[in-house]
Amino acid sequence: MSSDAVLASRCTACGAVSYPQHCLCPSCGGERFEPTPVEGEGTVVSYTDLYALAIDFEQRFLRLAMVELDSGVRATGQLLHETPAIGTRVKATIGVVRRQGETKIRGLQFVPV
Amino acid sequence: MRRVMVVGAGMTRFGRSSETLSQLMCLSSMAALRDAHLGEYPVDGVVVANMGAARINRQTAIASALVDRLNLFPATAETVENGPASGSSAFKVGYQAVAAGMADVVLVTGVEKMRAVNNLEGTDFVASMSHPEAEYIYGVTLPSLAGMFARMVMERYGVTRRHLALVAIKNHANALRNPYAHIQQAITLEGILEAPEAIVNNPPIAEPLHLFDCCPVSDGAASLVLAAEDVAEKLGKAGIVVAGIGQATDTHAVHERPEPTRLTAVEVAAERAFTMAGTSRDEVDVVELHDAFTILEIVQSEAAGFFPQGEGHLALERGETAFDGSLPINPSGGLKARGHPVGATGMAQLVELTWQLRGDAGERQVQGARCGFACNFGGFGNNVVTTLLRREDR
Amino acid sequence: MAGTGDLEALLRPPAMDMPPYPPKAVTLASGERMVVRQASREEVPILLEAIAPLLWVERDFYDVVAARLFGELLAYKRYRVRDEYVLVGLIDGVLAGIVNGRAVDAETGMSYHTITIRRGLRVGSHLFAAKMEYHVEYLGEKEVLIVAESPIGFRRWMIEYPLSKKYEVQHELGGVPSWVLPRDTYFDAKPRLVSGTRPVPDELLRGAETIVLPGDDTVRRQVTGERGGVECAE
Repeated sequence: MSSDAVLASRCTACGAVSYPQHCLCPSCGGERFEPTPVEGEGTVVSYTDLYALAIDFEQRFLRLAMVELDSGVRATGQLLHETPAIGTRVKATIGVVRRQGETKIRGLQFVPV
Repeated sequence: MRRVMVVGAGMTRFGRSSETLSQLMCLSSMAALRDAHLGEYPVDGVVVANMGAARINRQTAIASALVDRLNLFPATAETVENGPASGSSAFKVGYQAVAAGMADVVLVTGVEKMRAVNNLEGTDFVASMSHPEAEYIYGVTLPSLAGMFARMVMERYGVTRRHLALVAIKNHANALRNPYAHIQQAITLEGILEAPEAIVNNPPIAEPLHLFDCCPVSDGAASLVLAAEDVAEKLGKAGIVVAGIGQATDTHAVHERPEPTRLTAVEVAAERAFTMAGTSRDEVDVVELHDAFTILEIVQSEAAGFFPQGEGHLALERGETAFDGSLPINPSGGLKARGHPVGATGMAQLVELTWQLRGDAGERQVQGARCGFACNFGGFGNNVVTTLLRREDR
Repeated sequence: MAGTGDLEALLRPPAMDMPPYPPKAVTLASGERMVVRQASREEVPILLEAIAPLLWVERDFYDVVAARLFGELLAYKRYRVRDEYVLVGLIDGVLAGIVNGRAVDAETGMSYHTITIRRGLRVGSHLFAAKMEYHVEYLGEKEVLIVAESPIGFRRWMIEYPLSKKYEVQHELGGVPSWVLPRDTYFDAKPRLVSGTRPVPDELLRGAETIVLPGDDTVRRQVTGERGGVECAE
């Protein structure tokens, strides 16, 4: 994960995009990929408010979601939307999703469109 | 391939235990070995199921350690790790050794000593099963995956929080008849859902899942002794046959599943087990499912083929899966109330089925049980092992 | 003997007029109803007996909590601590948990301890909330100073209410920097964290008049959760 994008893999043979990365293209078995950012708008597939937090998190709850982007790729990330529902339209952004000690980790945050 | 029988069974009481990892696996193993009355027959192999010893207990190669404790050298030994499905996977490995003729008698023990670390550490340990870059890093934990899954299923099929509560209430009540169960506490719909106090009694964990939708953290061990049919006959213990084992995998990242409301690996694994056994769903008398979260009992009951998809909660509502119903599910109390020492759970399910099929389940005996099915759910459903045990009268 | 009465007066702290905590009934996950009420000085001996077995349980700082609570309860009984109160949770009269604290002044409360004897039913959450309810709604304080011995337990309150830091104030327990529950935060959290009904029905209240001790084995087993030895299939 670079600091500015979360990257999916576009198969150079058949064009299918997969995320996260597999060694071989899940569609055609191809071995060569082009990185392509997980970006754009999409729809909430599901979400949860997590109260039993992982290490590194000290807020009261963490809102997580699985989103299907209009490009067809699905991704999991944090949901920064006040009134989510299955089907809510969101946009993928990159932000600080976790702090591990001094390190700030950037990843997908879905915000209102 | 030879037929394989279960000739010995034993387990420790699940819960918060002062025993060490080593003590737990020894106690359980000794109980199963005693039960098997092997006499002159040596134990050829030992398989241990465990997920966390390296991290939580700072021990590795624990199957070799178990051989040592029990003085079983030079028996073969392997530790099997398949997340929460470690128990059934270890059972499968042991079964394969006997079926292939590479061993006549195998001891399989599942063990977990979770409470050597605090809850935060424990949560992180379990979360390590999720996809490191695509899930874990965001703060995803197993409950959060279950929460997202539950929301989709509830919206699509009309499952409500009340249905989930009924699963917990049933399993808590069943566990009161199980002296090995971690949780010995009856709960009521009023207390966990309907009373105004329910918000404090049953706070959200990963909405829509609440505290009483999630299994506890437990220590414990469970063991079985497997033997080739002819050995079992000579021991006078040929009765419980391993009729079928089926395993299947699915995508690691849950968001990649083509149909996220389905437990596809459960469907495929169950189909494989039933095909291997030549058994139909109707023949099953007693079921142990992997209710790490209440929603999973409902959906696994459908995915395993006992009820049509989207109707598991209706069967639950009708009382079909109650202890006195037509298809009792989790008479032991399930993971919810029997407890969930991760590596031991799969084995505890099979110990329970063994006791049920022998008629040794005491107050929680399902009358006339001759065929039992267990589903052991690894990761968040990306590696599932199902097992069918059948009783044959000799 | 003439001077003893004066000396006693010297050693006994002045007492604020503290309104009593009105008992309430709380329905637990088991369907059982717990009565939360104030405990009197006369009831302290039975509370001491209840927590004595915990003085030797190292896990989760139970020994420190029990030892300090023991001292606080004794001091309350013998009039050696200022404006302390004790609340208990009783299920069918059997002691389920104890919480205590004191009023520092009209605006500030000092939370002391929370001990849960009956596990698995969120008794501790209910009793801690009852304590906060007492400080804010009945004593009328603006804030309650809080610390805890057990890091895991404390983290939950810290995040749940949430609590704020008030590090400039040293808490009486161990002299460490305090956290605080401000009045506003209490009221925001109340719908989520505080529950129960008043008045307690007569029969339920009568059943809670006398504190019944859980068995010593019960206390230790409940608290540690241990099943005492491992039993396997015979």
